[in-house]
Amino acid sequence: MSLKNLIKSDRFIVTAELGPPQSANSSVIERKAGYFKGLVHAVNITDNQTAIVRFSSIAAAKILIDSGLEPVIQMTCRDRNRIAIQSDLLGAFGLGIENVLCLTGDYTTSGTQPEARPVYDMDSIQLIASVSRMNRGVLLSGDPIKTPTGFCIGGAANPFAPPFEMRIIRLQKKIAAGAHFIQTQPVFDLEIFKKWMERVNGLGLSKKTAILAGVMPVKSVKALEYMKSQVPGMRIHPSFIKRMAESEDPKAEGVNIAVELIEQIREIPGIRGIHLMPLMWESITPEIIKKSGITIDE
Amino acid sequence: MDFITKQKKELSRFERFISSIMLAAENVVKIPLFRCQRCGECILSHTAFICSQRCPKRLRNGPCGGTRENGNCEVYPDRKCVWYRIYKRAGFLRRLNFLYRIEKIHNWNLEKTSAWFNVFTKRIEPPKLFMKKPDEFKESDKI
Repeated sequence: MSLKNLIKSDRFIVTAELGPPQSANSSVIERKAGYFKGLVHAVNITDNQTAIVRFSSIAAAKILIDSGLEPVIQMTCRDRNRIAIQSDLLGAFGLGIENVLCLTGDYTTSGTQPEARPVYDMDSIQLIASVSRMNRGVLLSGDPIKTPTGFCIGGAANPFAPPFEMRIIRLQKKIAAGAHFIQTQPVFDLEIFKKWMERVNGLGLSKKTAILAGVMPVKSVKALEYMKSQVPGMRIHPSFIKRMAESEDPKAEGVNIAVELIEQIREIPGIRGIHLMPLMWESITPEIIKKSGITIDE
Repeated sequence: MDFITKQKKELSRFERFISSIMLAAENVVKIPLFRCQRCGECILSHTAFICSQRCPKRLRNGPCGGTRENGNCEVYPDRKCVWYRIYKRAGFLRRLNFLYRIEKIHNWNLEKTSAWFNVFTKRIEPPKLFMKKPDEFKESDKI
């Protein structure tokens, strides 16, 4: 079942993230795709995340389609102006890619080429609105598209960064602009996340869009501490850092934490699915999915 | 939903002259008061009179996901996030309804032109004193 139909149904959705390599080797993507096969509904491919050059998201998505997986491409506003974005989207849909996640994008200085010129011709909300417009068969210029796109549009939400109330306003704007599903930042603080979901449910937003909670398995306490100090907009509950630091086998503990988080997130009302983000640790996906007992059978 | 502006017409020589005078006057007022970035498509009245274009990503619709725990910017850790300040001040000035508006994609042809002149020639919308919450957000507001 395609992601679009899954969102219309009431099934629990599982998506995962795949980071393309910093090389021209397509077999790496095929190998990583193998970890997800039969375990997740769709695979999300990052678009030069943290502003570091990587294998193109759209090209990697085509490889995933060929190996029988459903891809979700990420489209950031950092590297493309409106002309390139529309052209890439037309090309992507022509290749059979039906899902797009619209992001503003990490700033260029967070990567390895801080000298690069940031574009930011539009922002994520305007990008979602642009894709909706293309789905209706009109380009931003007003010219009609003979064969319009039919993207399932995604957006991101960060419940963990201030100003918290403005995050809700932005979520509402994204839904009004036409987002079909919303992915959240990785959850490492259930208290804040539950409060955010209460607010989202209270406004009736979880009925208008499918909310997928981000879950990130971590390998070591170092990775957690790095995220807490170096990745802006992340909130990590100290109990997780303590658990990882005291554990004798941090990798197994990382898996346990991820599985526990999935269990607890599933119980929160209004959650439609999870989005696994095993950053550079795709091989752990089968174990986590198996342990948390999620099945994606038709 | 209308989120694109279109350049309407070429300016005559006289209009360009008026525009340059208005731009000079505007810079004198707006740069010291609001640290105006001269985008030519002013939305100061929507953003609680803090110039949103000071954001490194030049976002017009609210903060990106990178605001730090203390409300500082992702790109410049020693500065407050512009949108954090806008939200705080919009609450103080009771102008939160403005933040629900989906702002148009910036027309880069208007960059470094006079926003006052652009309002005068109807190339951009005039500043607003009040705004109701847009219709699509009303239903959810009741609950």
